[in-house]
Parts: sequence; C-alpha cells; structure tokens
Amino acid sequence: MSEPQHSTFPALTRRRLLGLGGGLALTGALAAACGSNTGRGGGSSGSGPALSQWYHQYGEAGTEQAVRRYAAAYRQARVTVQWRPGDYDQQTAAALLTDAGPDVFEDDGPTIDQIQGGQVVDLTDQIKDAHADFNPAVLQPKTYQGRVYGIPQVIDAQLLYYRKSLLAKAGVQPPRTLDELVAAAHALTGKDTKGLFLGNDGGAGVLGQGGIPLVAAGLSLVTDDGRVGFDDPAAARTLGKLHTLYASGSLLLGAPADWSNPAAFTQGLTAMQWTGLWALPQIREALGDDFGVLPFPGDGSAGRPAVPVGAYASAVSARSRHVDAAKAYVKWLWVDRTDYQEDFALSYGFHIPARLSLARKAAKLRSGAAADAVRFSTDHGHALPLLWTPKSQVALTDAVSRIVKDGADPAAQVRSAAATVTAELQRVRRKTG
Amino acid sequence: MLSRLLGPQRRYLWFWVFTGPFVIGLTVFGYVPLLWSITLSFFDAHNTVTPSHFVGFANYTAILSDSAFTSSLATFAVFSLFIVPATYALSLALALMVNRLRLARAFFRSVFFLPTACSYVVASMIWKLSIFNGVRFGLANTVLGWLGPDPVAWLSTTRPPWYWVVIVTVRLWLQAGFYLVLFLAGLQRIPGTLYEAAAVDGARPGWQVFRYITFPQLRATSVAVVLLLVINAFQAFDEFYNLLSTARGYPPYARPPLVYLYYVALGQGQDLGMGSAGAVVLALVIAVATVVQARWFGLGRKEA
Amino acid sequence: MGEGLRSFARALRVVILIALAVLFLIPFYLLVRNGLASESDITAAHWTFFPTHVRWGNVRELFDDPSVPMLHALWNSTRIAVATTAGTLLLASLAGYGLARIPYPWANHVFYGILGTLMIPSAVTFVPSFVLVSTLGWISTLRGLIVPTLFSGFAAFLFRQYFLGFPRELEDAARVDGLGYWRTYWRVVVPNSAPVFAAVGAIVFIGSWNAFLWPLVIGQDQQSWTVQVALATFNNGQTVNLHEMFVAAAVSILPLLVVFVVLQRFIVAGVERSGIDD
Repeated sequence: MSEPQHSTFPALTRRRLLGLGGGLALTGALAAACGSNTGRGGGSSGSGPALSQWYHQYGEAGTEQAVRRYAAAYRQARVTVQWRPGDYDQQTAAALLTDAGPDVFEDDGPTIDQIQGGQVVDLTDQIKDAHADFNPAVLQPKTYQGRVYGIPQVIDAQLLYYRKSLLAKAGVQPPRTLDELVAAAHALTGKDTKGLFLGNDGGAGVLGQGGIPLVAAGLSLVTDDGRVGFDDPAAARTLGKLHTLYASGSLLLGAPADWSNPAAFTQGLTAMQWTGLWALPQIREALGDDFGVLPFPGDGSAGRPAVPVGAYASAVSARSRHVDAAKAYVKWLWVDRTDYQEDFALSYGFHIPARLSLARKAAKLRSGAAADAVRFSTDHGHALPLLWTPKSQVALTDAVSRIVKDGADPAAQVRSAAATVTAELQRVRRKTG
Repeated sequence: MLSRLLGPQRRYLWFWVFTGPFVIGLTVFGYVPLLWSITLSFFDAHNTVTPSHFVGFANYTAILSDSAFTSSLATFAVFSLFIVPATYALSLALALMVNRLRLARAFFRSVFFLPTACSYVVASMIWKLSIFNGVRFGLANTVLGWLGPDPVAWLSTTRPPWYWVVIVTVRLWLQAGFYLVLFLAGLQRIPGTLYEAAAVDGARPGWQVFRYITFPQLRATSVAVVLLLVINAFQAFDEFYNLLSTARGYPPYARPPLVYLYYVALGQGQDLGMGSAGAVVLALVIAVATVVQARWFGLGRKEA
Repeated sequence: MGEGLRSFARALRVVILIALAVLFLIPFYLLVRNGLASESDITAAHWTFFPTHVRWGNVRELFDDPSVPMLHALWNSTRIAVATTAGTLLLASLAGYGLARIPYPWANHVFYGILGTLMIPSAVTFVPSFVLVSTLGWISTLRGLIVPTLFSGFAAFLFRQYFLGFPRELEDAARVDGLGYWRTYWRVVVPNSAPVFAAVGAIVFIGSWNAFLWPLVIGQDQQSWTVQVALATFNNGQTVNLHEMFVAAAVSILPLLVVFVVLQRFIVAGVERSGIDD
C-alpha cells in the first residue's frame, strides 16, 4: 500500500503523532508494527481546508464514481469522499460523537435528537435562495422550529408493482382498496408463485416503518400539533386486515432478497411486490412493459392511497473543524449545482429530484410507469415526521409485527404503541422548553 | 520501605513486570469504557457521551419496566434452554464416539472442529440464504419438498416458531467442535485403571460404565463447558443480528438482550443512558448466574 | 454382551459418525457450490447438487471488482490478525505466567479483575471504547484496529490455567542454574509450551480475522477495510449478488481453513493441555 501524503493533511498528522505517542507508551515494541497509517486516498484537487464527506453505500453502479467526481470538481476545499458499507446510521451516530467524524454527511434524518443535541448545524441560510424549489413533503421533516438542518438530495418512494399479464390471466383488476388487494393476492397465488411480496417478514417491517397502513386508514403518525395520530379504531381495523392477508398464505415469505430488491418480482416468485422506486429500471429491463405501479390502497371510508417518500439529506457536523467551509460546500453541491443534482437523481438508479423544477423537466419521468410513479408520489406522498423518534419506530413496528404474524389483538397493540409514542413526544417537547 | 514494596527477592516487582503491561491495557481499554458506561447509565444521554443532566436511577426504572427488554431476557432464557443442553449433548456424544475410534480419529475430529474457523457472518449467510431460505430453492425446503410438505418460511414464521431451528442449528454447528475437543481432553485424562476396576466389578460396558465412571469423571470438564456455554449464550448477538435484522430494523421475536440494546443505543436511537443501564443490568445478571452456577457445581473444589 | 452385538454397535457408531460428518460438511459444500455457480443456477426452481457450469470466472470477477478492494482487504486482515495474535500471545502469556507463578499477596484480586471482564459483553462498552479510541486519534489506523483488542481476558485466563499445571521441576532446574523469573520464562517455559501458544493463538487469530463491528467503525476509509467489511458490501439491501457474495465468503474463510488444517495437531494438543477445565 502507498503511504499517504501527510503534508496535505495537517490535522491528520497531528492526530497521528499523538496516537503514535500513546501507542509507544502502551505497547512498546508493538507500536512500530502498528505505526503506519492505513491511508486516505481519493482526495479532491482543490485547495483550502480538508473536508471529509460520507455517503452510505448505494446499490446502483456508478453512484460512487459520480459523487467522487462532484467532490473533485470543488475548488474551495479538498473534499475526501468516504463510501460506507454496513449499518450507516450506526456508523454516523458513533462518529458524530467524536472529532474523527465526517464534516459533511448524508443523513436519513437528521433526527430530532441530533438537532436538539446540537450535533448538526443550521443550514437555513444555505438553502434560503432555493427554499421554495425543494419538495415540501421531504423538506419539512428536515425543518425544526423554522430552521433547516439538512438539504434533501433526492426523493425515494415505495410503491406496489404488479405484473399485468399475471393479473389479466387470473382475471384480476389492479386493486384500488385494501380489501381488493387481499382478494387479488389470494387469486394470484399458485403453486410456484405467490400473490404478493411485502418483505420476508410479511410486511411488518416496511409497512410498519412508514406507518403506511395507518396513512391508508386516513390517519397519521404524528398530528400537526405534535400528538399521536393513530390512536383510533380505524388503525386496529386496517392492521387486522394485514393479519388476514398474512394468514391467507398468499404472501411470499423468506425470499433470498428482501422487499427492497425486485428479484422476487422479476424472477416470477410473486405477482405483486412492494418495493422502491429505485427498482423500476431493473424491473423494466426484465419485464419490459409487463408491469404497472400503484400506491398502497386506502382502507375504509376515510381511507386514502399511501405512498411513503423520504430523502437522504446532506448535513454538516457541528464538530467539524471547518464548519463554514463545510456549509459552503453543501450549498455549492446541493443548492447551486443543479446539473450535478440532476445527474445524481437520474443517471444512476431511479429517484425523483428533490427540486421541483428538476422533477418537472426530467424527460425520463414523463412516460409510462415512471410517470405514474411520480404522479402518485406527488399526490399521495407522505414522509416520516421529524418528531417520530427511533423508539417510536420500534414500538410501532413491534406492534405491527405482533398483529400481522402472531394475530395479537390489534386494538391492544395499537394502544400500547400509542402510549410509547406519547411518552416520546413528551420527551422531545420537554427539551424544547 | 522500597524493599517492602518490591517484596522478597523483588518478587512483587517481577509480578508487575509480567502482568503490568496487560493490566494497564485492560484498564485503559476495558475498565475505562466500562466505568464510563456505568456513569452514562445515571444520565440523560441522548446522542452524547458527555451528558450533563443527572437522572439518578430513572434509566434503570425505565429499562426494567420496558416490556421489550424484559421479554428479551425471556428470549435469552429460551435460547439457552435450547442451546446449552443441545451443544452439551451433541459435543459429548461426538467426543465419546470419536474417542473410541481406532481409525480415522484425527479425520473425524477435524471435520467436527472445522466450523470453529467459520465466522458467524458467513455461517449466518449460508443458513439464511442457502439452507433455510423460505422459497423453493432453499436446501431445507428442497428436502421437505421430496417428502411432500409446502415450503416453510423458516425465519419469518412465528407460529410455530421455526426460526429457533435456524438460530440453534447455526450455533450448534459453529461451536460443537470446540467443546468436542474439550471433552476429548477430559476423556484422555480418565485413568484406564478405573475402567479395569469397573470391569472386574462386573459393570457392563456401555451405559453402566458411562453412568458410574465416565460421566462422574468428566465433572470438571462438564462444569467448564456449561459455564462457557451459558456466558456465550448471554452474549449472543452475531447470528441473531445477521439472520433476522433487515434495513428496517429487527422483528420483536427472537430478540436477545444485546440485540435490543444495540437498537436502543448504537443505531440512530442513541439513547446511551438507557442502553448503558440495560447493559449494566445484563452484566449483573451474567455475574449472578455465573456465581450461582459455580457454587451449585462447586467450581474450584479440586476433588473431582 | 455377545461379540456380534458389540461389532454391530461399533458399526452403528461409525455409520452415525459418517452421517454427522456429512451434515457438518454441507455448509462448506454450499459455500463452494454457490460461489462457483451462476446467479440463475443458485436461484433455479429445481435443486442441482452441482452447478450446470462451474464458473471459476467468479473468482476473477471478485478480485476484479473495482468497488471492493478484496485483495487489499485480505492483506489488511492478515496484517491485523497476525499483529493481534502476536501481541495477545505476548501480553497474555506474560500476565498468565505472573499470575500463576509469581507469589504476590494481591494476585487473586488481579486475577478476578481480569476474569470479571469475561462477563462484560463487548457491545456494552462499544460506544465509550469508540470515543476513547477516537480521542487518541486512532480512527482509520492499524493501531486503532489492533491495540484495543490486544487485552484478552480469556487468553490470560487460559495461560494462567496452563501455567498452573506446568511442571515445576523444569523451573526449579532453571532456578538452580541461577536464572531469574524473566530468563526462566523465556528459556525454559516458553520453549516447552508450544501447544498452548498454538491453541490460544488460533483462537485469537480466528476471532481477529472474523471481527466485524470494530473494524467497520474504526476503519473508516476503504484503504483500511478488512475482509469481513468487504464481505458486508455484497449484501446492501438494494442489490444482492449471491454468487459474488458466496465466492467472497469462501475466499474469506480459506486462509483460516489452511491455518487450521496445518496447525490442527498443535491446536488440539494445546486445548487438551490448557487445563481450561481445571
């Protein structure tokens, strides 16, 4: 391996020397064996302060090269891109506690605790010129008390994909209500093909995580005034139907790749699958025009179709040594450089640009199933609210899993999840005051 | 004064020359984080390791009244009820059979010992994607298909809880060989004269000899094996995490304490105060279980 | 018991052993089968015991994959595992010997202090350990990946138990020759303890080679990825590349299997003599 150019990394050199001292004191001879830095390649050619930027590992080919290219084009700082496999949230959460973390990073949040704990910095001034051009559904969860803490990069959505030919063969119409979905899944189930794939856990994870059935029942996770939005008999009724679906034997379970991968759908293991917008190119390549997309169908008189949307946001760590340089870089890449934003959203995999102006003019999104997907995401898109904490998340997915898989009493499970969420909402509200 | 510190013939000095480097390292990289963790358990430590809001025992009352945590302790209990006797019985049976082989002893020992080299990550991958995968091309379902029944979704069916089959077999495969070697070592140490005496007394080879000679003679080994099995079961994390977690979290079943605490404190849910409180509770349970077990079996008594 | 019955029992035992041995080898077989198959062979509706075409090209595909520096990861894992093993053996054997053989009034307390750490799951202290290592400035360094893992209570425990049973006569002879603790240890004790070093070394080497969480979080850039971290990139939720994942897994355990087969005689002898159960 090549020894890194320490002269270009002053901060690193200092840390390295410090570390070497500690190593010598601790282990004597061993320090010599462990003294070499493992290197930090892939820097950009700019001048100015050194910034480290983190991305989670994207599945689509070319994404990594693209983000390295953008970083290399920046002149005001030397940006090093780090591409992180494994549990990204866990790695960033740990790294943000230290000085060795990223300066600029992608964040599924920022979470309310990251914001209240002062771990991410205010980016309101950076986004201000283009504020109105960002899709409000995904910008709102990045906003706390009127200040913006993350700049949305691209929008992902989840949809129901169905195989037109299989539905036609079974004489089934694309389902418009949850009851129709249950009936369709049953009718489409055959010897080697199941009717519907909602994930290897029967949908408990992905549906529970987005609160999708609750939205479909006409409810919400957190109300606009910050209270529990699903402590309602309709929630129990809709979740009870998911158990019916699970118990009917028409769900595919235990596929080699989970719901986020279209393999089960393209390999013909299932006639319908819940998966991401990102899977659309792969599905089109495998099935041509033999598929369509739908939102998650509504349930009950107050019901409405549901399309969960979300966006990774670009955030700046408050522990960065160069907060101002990091903010300037984020503004440059994710606000000013609309050409890169367009390339990032549309050239690798399939996402909706977070900027309304870019989404409107993207030719790729204007025909066929892609156009339907964009329309559904715009009309029915709902993102996780900022006040929805990981603990609330676990409480709800646990409840959904118990209802769906174990046939637990829906009303009791919803009540118990609502109690946990209430306590969490109180906790984050208390910190405000 | 100095000579008292150094001890007779400077023995105390030499003691620290030998153990000092290890003890210092263990203090820095073992005890400092541990004490730090204990400190965090008394603070409201969301997303910080230097909290300022002292909350007393609030995290402890919260974690102990958290039904998810208490049910994770129950999950551990169920898991150890399966895995401890299963590993014990399998590795002892294998050791007895291998020990009596005249040919190919080393071969069989190697075969059973080989999985020890495999990581939990790789083993979980083989189990999840190739053996117990829920669709028609999984090995277990292929074999089932020959016999008739429909494919089983091994990891996602909670009634009946098929996932235990997957979890228990993967650990059994990974660790049985190691304990087999321990038992073989124990068997080698049983004096042959005992068997000769038993034969003279008319004990029948097979069950009687095992019941009255072999098994009692293996007591010390058995105690060590059970102790290691229980401690390892308490610390179970890797195979559960790799078999059952998804990008969207972890299901509420088969969730042992460490997996639950991982999601409380190490993921985005950075509740380090409550996570540390849970960890302290867990460490105490492990310590009590170990001591009770050691007392029960009389570990340390040398008569066996 | 009749002679016939006894030979029947022996035959039955051999049959059971062979059946179990086959069961124990199946996972290894699956690793190789899937690693050398095409994606469609792995997911084919009907089970085939061997891929229709054995694709050795999968191995080249793995090493040519530009997004995963597999060769470099193997090199990193090797360096880390070797250094960790050497360091642990040195530190833990010295400590074990001191605890077993050098009289010191507080020796038992020190021993229990070490033993106590065996009961603390490492995940418990994970975040503080990470912050500590980061404060030392060891993120993305080999030092950060190695030094904090060197102090294994289990290794020290095994060495102590072994040295308690080490024949005193050998040491007494050295003492008569005028050797102190230090030289007795290096000239007499270590040369006569090869199996226990092999056994503990193998356990440490396996643990280090297979470690995942720590290398993932400490080795922040691609240059410091280990094999296990590289392996994790093949299963990222969005794209699952089964054949490449299996061939990578096979490559990742191959070095360990080689070490095992070569050293196994010593390892077993060492475990047998380590006195772990005394």
